[in-house]
Amino acid sequence: MKKYLFIIKTQIIKSLTYEFNVYGNIIMQTIIMITSAYFWRALYSGRSTVEGVDADNMLTYVIISSALSVLLITNVERRIGRSVEKGTVACDMMKPVSLFWMFFAEDIGSIVALIFQNMLPILLIGSVMIKLPVMADIKDLPLFIVSVIESFLINWLIAALFGMTAFTAVNINALIQVKKHLIRLLSGSIIPIWFFPESVAKVLSSLPFVYIYQLPLSIYIGRGTRAEHMVQMQIQFIWLVILSALFFLVHNIVTRKVMVQGG
Amino acid sequence: MSRSFDTLRHYLDVTGVNIKMAFMTIIEYPANIAGWMISNPLQFIMGFAIIKFVVETFGEINGWDYGQLAFLYGLSVISHALSMIFFVQGWFMGWYVIEGDFDRYLTRPLGVLYQFFFTNINIFGITDLIPGIIVFIYGCVRSGVRASFLFVIQVLIMLIGATLIRGGIYILIGSTSFHTRSAVDFGQYTQEIMDKTTMYPISMYPESMQFILTYLIPIGWVSFYPVSSLLGIDNGISSGMITAFITLAVGILMMSLAGAYFNSGLKKYESAGN
Repeated sequence: MKKYLFIIKTQIIKSLTYEFNVYGNIIMQTIIMITSAYFWRALYSGRSTVEGVDADNMLTYVIISSALSVLLITNVERRIGRSVEKGTVACDMMKPVSLFWMFFAEDIGSIVALIFQNMLPILLIGSVMIKLPVMADIKDLPLFIVSVIESFLINWLIAALFGMTAFTAVNINALIQVKKHLIRLLSGSIIPIWFFPESVAKVLSSLPFVYIYQLPLSIYIGRGTRAEHMVQMQIQFIWLVILSALFFLVHNIVTRKVMVQGG
Repeated sequence: MSRSFDTLRHYLDVTGVNIKMAFMTIIEYPANIAGWMISNPLQFIMGFAIIKFVVETFGEINGWDYGQLAFLYGLSVISHALSMIFFVQGWFMGWYVIEGDFDRYLTRPLGVLYQFFFTNINIFGITDLIPGIIVFIYGCVRSGVRASFLFVIQVLIMLIGATLIRGGIYILIGSTSFHTRSAVDFGQYTQEIMDKTTMYPISMYPESMQFILTYLIPIGWVSFYPVSSLLGIDNGISSGMITAFITLAVGILMMSLAGAYFNSGLKKYESAGN
């Protein structure tokens, strides 16, 4: 455990080194957030509620989605991809730590740094420039926190599973893009799937992606009843179990046959 | 005169070799080809479907119906694809600065910016191009556009302009790495902003933002202004044939600005390592 805490600490220090990245990221994310807010305002002009959500709720959705996207940054897939491609995976595997726990600790470290560098500034800017993102029902807070933790884990496991294809495919830049688009468009991070036709929404709600963004966000803005949220959280938990099982299975297969390129 | 002609021919020769090399490197990893063939079309088909869902739920967006939006989306994706083929390296410029990869280019008797983009030409951008063309043709049919000779010329000119504007923006953002000495991949953020501002009519945004997108960061010229003139929609700034040429002019201006900024940054470049 101590080893991993040390990795987390190193990663935090690493993240604090480049000051410009911090400002650059904040500026870019602010522009995206404000554009999205105007986007929804324009769509909602002249309408009060669409699909049980009003414009005000959508603005909260945008702010919290931007903040949440900071928590859901993973580096594990790129990290595996690069170490397989360059052959450094052999050295990584010789270290006295478990390979994937090391990657996990690294991602946790970056996220701890990002919470202060990115997430809090974004929440602050959003509250000042758009609106105060108040939670619909504060009693749902524990539910929200649990669902965010699960969505973080699901997101990380999907990233790690995509990353592990590097052991056979070697170059996975394109697969990383596939994963990025799947999550971006199917998780409700930009456009919630309740605006999609019912048949599409039904298919998407059986996939794990909506449980990354949309579930915690709908709990936050209070769309749907608590009973509905509880059902969705059960599906979220089932996906977490399935993905973890898949992760350990694939992990055992790929680490047994590592090919080192140019080694 | 004949000397500059020779130089041009030399550059064209090198470009030919580079494209051949690019083809050879992409077949190195078959899984990668399959990945790109899935990922890029997937992205645009899903993006296009989402626009359809939004229109179905909310009705016309600021007076633009679904066919017109498809037209706008198609052209926007095509210019995106072209900028991916030629200028995507701008996204990764920071890594080149940090890892000292510009050394290689500085020692060769060719323009550094040229080498930077053309030795890494991205053939996979074609996978973006095809869905873009399909959606564009669909948009033409839906919105009843008659493809005359003049129309085709206008589309081609505006596409060149739009590609240059996008490329210019990538270079401008990438070149900040010379001053900050850090590698930040703003690619995804740039893409996200571009998506929201080029795939939907910018007239839906407040006036202050339209002003910025027209005069300060000319993203409005990438798709909104030329497309609304092509479709005969009033955009309050420019209409008719001239718009395509203004787009081209804006593109050339952006590219020259970006080139100048890149070269001034390159003077500060001092390689990497001990």
